[in-house]
Amino acid sequence: MRALFRFRQFRSQLLCVLLLGLGASLGIFMLVVRQTSEARAMEEVRADFDEAARILRRLVEDKAGPLSQNAQIFAHDYSFIQAYRTGDDATIRSALLSARGRCHASHMALVDLDGRSRVDLGRNAAVGTTSPYASLIRRAAADDKDYDFDYGYLGDEFSILVVVPIRVGESTVAWIGLAEGIDDVIAGDLKDISRVDVTFLNRAHGLLISTTAESLRPALAAEFGGASAAHAPETAVHLLAGEQLLAQRFDLPGADGSHTVVVLTYSLGEKLAPSRALQRLLLEIGLLLLAVGGLVGNVVARGVSEPVRRLAAHTQVIAGGDYAARLTLDRADELGQLADSFNAMSTGLAERDLVRDLLDKNVSPEVAAQLMRDGATLGGEEREVTILFADLRGFTTLSERMQPPELLALLNRYLDRMSAEIERHGGVIDKFIGDAIMALFGAPLAQDDAADRALAAALAMEHALADLNAELAAEGRLPLALGIGVNTARVVAGNIGSHRRLNYSVIGDGVNVAARLQALTRTAEYRTNILTSAATLAAARGRRFATRPLGAVTVKGRAGAVEIFAVEPA
Amino acid sequence: MRSTLLGCLLACAPTIALSGTVEFRLADTKGRPVADAVVSLVPLDAPAHVAPPAVPLEIMQQGQEFRPYVTALVVGTAVSFPNRDTVQHHVYSLSQPKMFELPLYAGESKQAIVFDRPGVVALGCNIHDWMAAYIVVLETPWFARTGANGTATITAVPAGRYRAEVWHPRLAKGETRPVAVAAEASVPFSFTLALKPDRRVHRAPGAGSGGYK
Repeated sequence: MRALFRFRQFRSQLLCVLLLGLGASLGIFMLVVRQTSEARAMEEVRADFDEAARILRRLVEDKAGPLSQNAQIFAHDYSFIQAYRTGDDATIRSALLSARGRCHASHMALVDLDGRSRVDLGRNAAVGTTSPYASLIRRAAADDKDYDFDYGYLGDEFSILVVVPIRVGESTVAWIGLAEGIDDVIAGDLKDISRVDVTFLNRAHGLLISTTAESLRPALAAEFGGASAAHAPETAVHLLAGEQLLAQRFDLPGADGSHTVVVLTYSLGEKLAPSRALQRLLLEIGLLLLAVGGLVGNVVARGVSEPVRRLAAHTQVIAGGDYAARLTLDRADELGQLADSFNAMSTGLAERDLVRDLLDKNVSPEVAAQLMRDGATLGGEEREVTILFADLRGFTTLSERMQPPELLALLNRYLDRMSAEIERHGGVIDKFIGDAIMALFGAPLAQDDAADRALAAALAMEHALADLNAELAAEGRLPLALGIGVNTARVVAGNIGSHRRLNYSVIGDGVNVAARLQALTRTAEYRTNILTSAATLAAARGRRFATRPLGAVTVKGRAGAVEIFAVEPA
Repeated sequence: MRSTLLGCLLACAPTIALSGTVEFRLADTKGRPVADAVVSLVPLDAPAHVAPPAVPLEIMQQGQEFRPYVTALVVGTAVSFPNRDTVQHHVYSLSQPKMFELPLYAGESKQAIVFDRPGVVALGCNIHDWMAAYIVVLETPWFARTGANGTATITAVPAGRYRAEVWHPRLAKGETRPVAVAAEASVPFSFTLALKPDRRVHRAPGAGSGGYK
């Protein structure tokens, strides 16, 4: 999958991941807080509603209780009984008026046993018709109660109705009905105690009482004034007159068959205001944290990316070949370890370089290159190689007359000149054997003109020695003399030695022949410093040198004679 | 009144020409005139002679109220309580000077009640809490009741030293003050009364309130 966006800097990537993580956590946190607080607010409102319903019941009971007690006292009051016994309705009415004040009722009536109104303090009450208290009286009479109360209506006034019997002896002779309106005072008390708005509705009379704002009332009446609540109280959010309200409705059934709907409402915004304020505060804190996190993250990211950047730069330095450069991060963590590893690697590389350098000095560059390429394997191959042997004549005598350092200096000076000529002609120094040199042409790299090169190198060596002798003469030293044998033969070439120590070399009969030819240069009658074999001359294609046949010689350990030739400058 | 005057004439015949007037002016602490207060002058020099009227006084029930609200009279006065309402009333007194009750009745009261001991008698109706009235029984012929303007004048008071007494239903304790009455002179007499709050049971305003349509 291809990345949609590639970061140019590790630092910005790190910072971005950090901020994204922080932002996401913050978002989730905010979401959880919001969900929780809203759920909690709903729960609280539900509890408030339940509480309000309890308070309402309590307020109604607090009104109905004293009303009932007063009514009972009054119904047994001697003076009232006396007034009742006059049978004079006007007197009874005036006595009821007096009692109404004493009982703190808003309405009072004397009702006969059939539920018909006999005396009624109501403004337009028709005497002799069915009293508003009739159904409640029926219920109380059936239960043989000393009093009873319930919700009911006096005309269109929603009230608490109380009935008490007037008894003469054991028998009930009439009923007294008392009422107290459920009015703005009760609704206001409920609002004050529970902080919940209350609205009373009736299908017939519409909205009766409400503590809500005037503007909400028509919408409330339209929403809840219709069908009565068939279900259990349920809290729901209603959008009324542009305001979100939590509302719960329940029914107050009256003894007279009436149904009054109570709607408890609470402004959702008002309820959520504290939690919204908290959320706002949390958001501000969160953004602040995000900003601080960004700054801190930037510093941290830089702390992480800067060493990485330096490591990258250091890699380029190493790639450039500077193994001496060292990286100092001064850290104990993985990056510090990485820097240490880098330094160790630099050391390793420097050592390898040193080894290579030493290899170049100890073996010929070609052998070194082959070793670097193929590794130090104990391989072997048969190939045609021209072998050159050079030896310093009379070196033993010389060594007896000179101090070792002086001797070594002279030897090295000689070997240096000779080696230079061999390498100049594409030869490879196989080994130094004391003052002797063994060189290869055509190995390890095959050369078409290996024999020519070897012979040319031999002549050049002779010439170089003459130059060296001139220098030595100028220094007041004795001249040096050498002998060179050159032979071309098929030999086995490869790394020869133990696993711990290897030399690239060649072995075979041809090598011995070359060494033998070198030794034969000491033969005085040959009058030459350079001897070569017919095999070499056969291999040589160039005719840049003159040869002088010297006949055949037998070589130790070799069947058959070898034709030898002196090589001289052309 | 005639009999009071007669009594006075009998008692003070030699000094009749030497009588004066006391003008009471009663106000509450806020300066409002105090009506329905009874003011009286009790002679300090010689005991006063009182003669109750021959015909009983009337305190009637009308519009489910007693009328008058405050009645001052001398010891021995008889009072009748005619009921001028369509509803019955039950007049009673539980006051020391005169305890009585007239159970529910309509029309004229069956008997007149004689108030034979001095003091204040509070009247009530057993079935109408708001109905209340007071009878102040005095031992002096010189008394009067303040009108709506808070003034009362007692005339034909023989010159001499008196104790002026003021009573009112809302007065915690009767006010008394010495006063000297001079012949042919008028004594202006102002009282500032600290009245208690009106605690009368207020009658519900008719049958209208709280009723349903």
